[in-house]
Amino acid sequence: MATNPISRKQFLRQCGSIAAGAAIISVSGIAVKQMLKKDGDNFWQIDPSKCTFCGRCATSCVLTVSAVKCIHANKVCGYCDLCGGYYRANVKDLNTAAENLKCPTGAIFRKYIEDPYFEYTIDEDLCNGCGKCAKGCNSFGNGSLYLQVKQELCKNCNECKISKVCPSDAIQRVSADKVYMLKDG
Amino acid sequence: MKRILKILGIFASVSPLVAEAQNRFPKPDFESGYIYPEFSYFVPDEMLWNTVDVVLLTIMMSVVAWAVLHRRKRAPVFIVSIISVLYFGFFRSGCVCSIGAIQNVALALTDSSYSMPVFVFLVFILPIIFTFLFGRVFCAGVCPFGALQELVNIRDFRLSKAVSSVLGIIPWIYLIFAILYAVTRSRFLICQFDPFIGIFRMGGDFGMIILGGLLLVASVFTGRPFCRFLCPYGVLLSLFSRISLLHPSVTPKCINCDLCRNACPVDAIRPPYENKIKESRAAGVNRLLVYFVFLPLMGLSGALLLHVAGDSFSHANKNVRLHELIMQNEANPQDVQPVDVEVFFSQGGTIDELASRVSEIRRQFISYSTIAGALIGLIIGATLINLSLKRTRKTYEIDSASCINCGRCFDYCPKNQLINKTE
Amino acid sequence: MNRKIVRNIAIVSAFFIVTFSIMLITNYFQIRGFNPLQTEVIETLKQINDENSGNTELQEQIRQLDLLARRAYFVSISHLETGVYLLIGMLVVFIVAIRYYFAVIKNVPEKEIDPIDEWVEKTKARKYVNRAAGGLVTVALLFAFLSSPYLDSLKNGKPQDEKTVMTEMKNEDSTLSGEEYGFMDDSAEVLAENTEKPKENVSVTAPDSTPTDKPDSTPTDEPEIPKVTYNNFRGNNSSAITAAKNIPTTWDLNTNENIAWKTDIARQGYNSPVINGNKIFITGADEQARELYCYDLNTGKLLWMLAADNISGSPSEVPETSHDTGLAASTVATNGKQVCAIFATGDLICTDMEGKRLWAKNLGVPVNHYGYASSLLSFGDLLIVQYDNSNSPKLLALDMTTGAERWNKTRTDKITWSSPIITYIDRKPQLILMGNPSISSYNPNNGEKNWSVDFLSGEVASSPCSANGLVFGASEYSSLIAVDAISGEKLWETNEYLPEVSSPVATKDYIYLATSYGAIACYDAKNGELKKSIETDTEFYSSPIIAEGKIYLFSNSGKAFVYLANSELTLVNSFETGQRTFATPAFTDNRMIVRSENQLYCVTKKTIL
Repeated sequence: MATNPISRKQFLRQCGSIAAGAAIISVSGIAVKQMLKKDGDNFWQIDPSKCTFCGRCATSCVLTVSAVKCIHANKVCGYCDLCGGYYRANVKDLNTAAENLKCPTGAIFRKYIEDPYFEYTIDEDLCNGCGKCAKGCNSFGNGSLYLQVKQELCKNCNECKISKVCPSDAIQRVSADKVYMLKDG
Repeated sequence: MKRILKILGIFASVSPLVAEAQNRFPKPDFESGYIYPEFSYFVPDEMLWNTVDVVLLTIMMSVVAWAVLHRRKRAPVFIVSIISVLYFGFFRSGCVCSIGAIQNVALALTDSSYSMPVFVFLVFILPIIFTFLFGRVFCAGVCPFGALQELVNIRDFRLSKAVSSVLGIIPWIYLIFAILYAVTRSRFLICQFDPFIGIFRMGGDFGMIILGGLLLVASVFTGRPFCRFLCPYGVLLSLFSRISLLHPSVTPKCINCDLCRNACPVDAIRPPYENKIKESRAAGVNRLLVYFVFLPLMGLSGALLLHVAGDSFSHANKNVRLHELIMQNEANPQDVQPVDVEVFFSQGGTIDELASRVSEIRRQFISYSTIAGALIGLIIGATLINLSLKRTRKTYEIDSASCINCGRCFDYCPKNQLINKTE
Repeated sequence: MNRKIVRNIAIVSAFFIVTFSIMLITNYFQIRGFNPLQTEVIETLKQINDENSGNTELQEQIRQLDLLARRAYFVSISHLETGVYLLIGMLVVFIVAIRYYFAVIKNVPEKEIDPIDEWVEKTKARKYVNRAAGGLVTVALLFAFLSSPYLDSLKNGKPQDEKTVMTEMKNEDSTLSGEEYGFMDDSAEVLAENTEKPKENVSVTAPDSTPTDKPDSTPTDEPEIPKVTYNNFRGNNSSAITAAKNIPTTWDLNTNENIAWKTDIARQGYNSPVINGNKIFITGADEQARELYCYDLNTGKLLWMLAADNISGSPSEVPETSHDTGLAASTVATNGKQVCAIFATGDLICTDMEGKRLWAKNLGVPVNHYGYASSLLSFGDLLIVQYDNSNSPKLLALDMTTGAERWNKTRTDKITWSSPIITYIDRKPQLILMGNPSISSYNPNNGEKNWSVDFLSGEVASSPCSANGLVFGASEYSSLIAVDAISGEKLWETNEYLPEVSSPVATKDYIYLATSYGAIACYDAKNGELKKSIETDTEFYSSPIIAEGKIYLFSNSGKAFVYLANSELTLVNSFETGQRTFATPAFTDNRMIVRSENQLYCVTKKTIL
């Protein structure tokens, strides 16, 4: 009488163990089969051909200052004097005065190279990823300014919060060989 | 910290992937001998870090298993907790964690187009395998969330069984909904409502940081509120822990001092119990029978209930919301067109195509939430059945489902201390 | 002694923690709620500076403010960072101190050895779980109840109200049946009752309320109302591109191949049909009467007609018009709730969808030597009237429900016969008008002018078109130009083939147009390069419309052309319909409505029996 409940309990436990073991093995089996088919993508990155510069990268990132920064492809750049990414629309004087500039944090720097060319560089510590310059450059210039996720800042969230609000699904998981999607002339 | 990262990372100048650019202005011909600046972009060596994570995870779980099952000591678990909070919590910022990996695995099992990284799967399955072997060693202190709550815990005020039984249903519902939203590719609920990630990252969603802070304050006064009443991975592990091959046991030759029960943060130690309240056997059997009869009924009614609500859940999906935005915009053409709508049309999307996609998602939502409802009904039923079972115990027993292998009881047990001393 | 120090450390760190938390929370709201980088002050100052440059004082002010804003932004970010580090440090100190302090007390058991009876606890727990489950069910029910039918009724307006009533009625039924069920259960356990009763309600309500969630499935026996509307001349927003699908590319009026119905039109007019739901609207006029007709889309039956009579200010004698314009050249406009029509007499009349006259007024008889011809344009509940005539050219926006004037702008342009369009630029609507001499953009919500470019001359009858942020205008006596709709800057100009009456249509890549001397041309939208031209021996007054990537075009003689909308203008089909056609066809899913000189007919794919 005393042994009966124990053996019943043990029997149940054994059944449970077998079921659990089977569950672990079958889930692993399916997962391994899936993972063999193709390797998982580990990084979040913006596809510049899809990006619409809506400005949500600056506000939606889980970090206080977004991990998305503006990147400049010098080899695509036209080195224009009147730069659509650097100057606001309808500026009169092409100087570096605050009233003429587009970047809200003053992260773009302009350097005279030779007539009529100017070089533009971005200070990523100041950039907040709002994409205003990239929008300007894409609508008036060569599109050499564009947004990318800086991988050393990105926390690599399981689900990128920006990707959930991106209107054009430009932000996607990418594999290790596409960590940066650079434009290069 | 950045410097360390850079040493362990690789600098790669990545080959161009996007060649298209609208060349409104030609490439300048420089006469002054200007040279294009070279940029190289830092790529963290994810492979290396993931390996470190997995190895550390395994080592830490082994240490806990050794400390609790073999040495019957708390101190190593405590050290593991500190390491976990510092490394997995603050240093690695908690992503991807085992709790969140549930969603990736659920998605990978249902959607063959989703590619799950091997690392994510390992993070998900390793704690389960360890739990199956040694009980919930992951919860003990390897999980940074549990470890953080453990570290701040000072007094342990016990909640009444009634309250904790009700709250204990929440993680099940959370788990079910998380899987529902994950398999419909709507959102990762667990990651979105992760209360401690904001604390580990020192910034983030304000509401979540407040919730995390409140949970921490609560865990100062009661054992592990998150693990017991919210964590969806915890309930999954409790299933495996229930039938684990090895798990902590009450020290032999127990003197019934009740100190261990008093010390347990998760109410896993059950005192000896002899039925004192007299109830006719027929009444007990009757009640149990009624619950068993109503178990499928509860599942059914839960299924029906969520079947009705399934459509409203689908609003969490991006496509469904976009479709709604477009419909709203069509109705009020005067309003500024939302950027999502503009982009959708500029990318050549058509309403018909979207509508068919949306109706597919809605259908999915309705069928999945029907299953979810049935499961919730069954879980409530099972809880009720569990609560109507009467068990007589002669000695102190450990409930292996809720025991988290933290080893606190060992420090309180006078017998155990004696054994440790003599060794 | 030692404990006392530890306690004091804990108290001090607790004080710091509270202060830091409060500071950080306020700082957080400063950063998130108010972004110092986008203050309105600086933005408006910058705009003022744009308008009158050279104001050094203003510029200095902007620079100062800008510097302050940036400093505020970066300082608050760095404060947040250091604040968080300090807070966490303090927390560690506090926890360590307080753990140490309580370490002594902790070992003392605080509960009495003999615990409360477990069974009592379990019984209580069961009760709680039962209640919680009941609560969950009620909340879920409430949620399901409130969300679906209520939201639907908000969206669809009145028709849904009946459904809500129905659901409520059904709900009453279900509670009754639920009680019947509950009656059976009474013999069961008392404890169980708590959950079971509400649960029974669910199981009965749920199947009842599911059909109400799918309002679409009920009216299957009636013919389906097409979703694609065609509210204006050349479709919604007068864009000349329709979302309509499944349009045949061949039909024959003699053998009735792909012809659903044909019907005669009582009075003549050059205006084009518009479609909303199951209704088609056109007007017709002669010297005796001006009338608005509504036809059934499925049968071609005249549903109702309404005469534009008894309007105060209406001239007793109709103004003289040329035979190729007539009194009813303007196409009507609808928004799905009202229909408005205008005639060359200046009479504007508006009815609801059932033909009940809502309001009518005379806008002043237009002085126009051919006859007033600009079509109306509906924009939500706004009715846009381009009233460019020789005596008082103006642009009006009226409330379609009441006829009240929303805004009114005097035009400086001379008489035109062109019609307005709406286009979305940067997500904001722009109202584009062609006049003489300018193509101009207005904000349709308040009538403010955005920009205008002078290039037109002579008699302008063709309407503008727009795609991908560009606006295109063309007229036979001037040229075809492309304007950047944001800046109002002219991008390019060309004049090889130009339309006179027919209006062009633009896609992202190309512009297509048809001329009065029978040429069909395709230009590159980016630079105005002529991609392809086709000469036909006919004339075009009707405008090309793009449906399913195909251009549909009718010549005056009644020849139909269907081309693929590519740079090659690949011909899909062309044939004689046998009926002279001047109006532009209207489209909805599966159907094309064509107004020929005397008839209205419906083209649809007929399945071969």
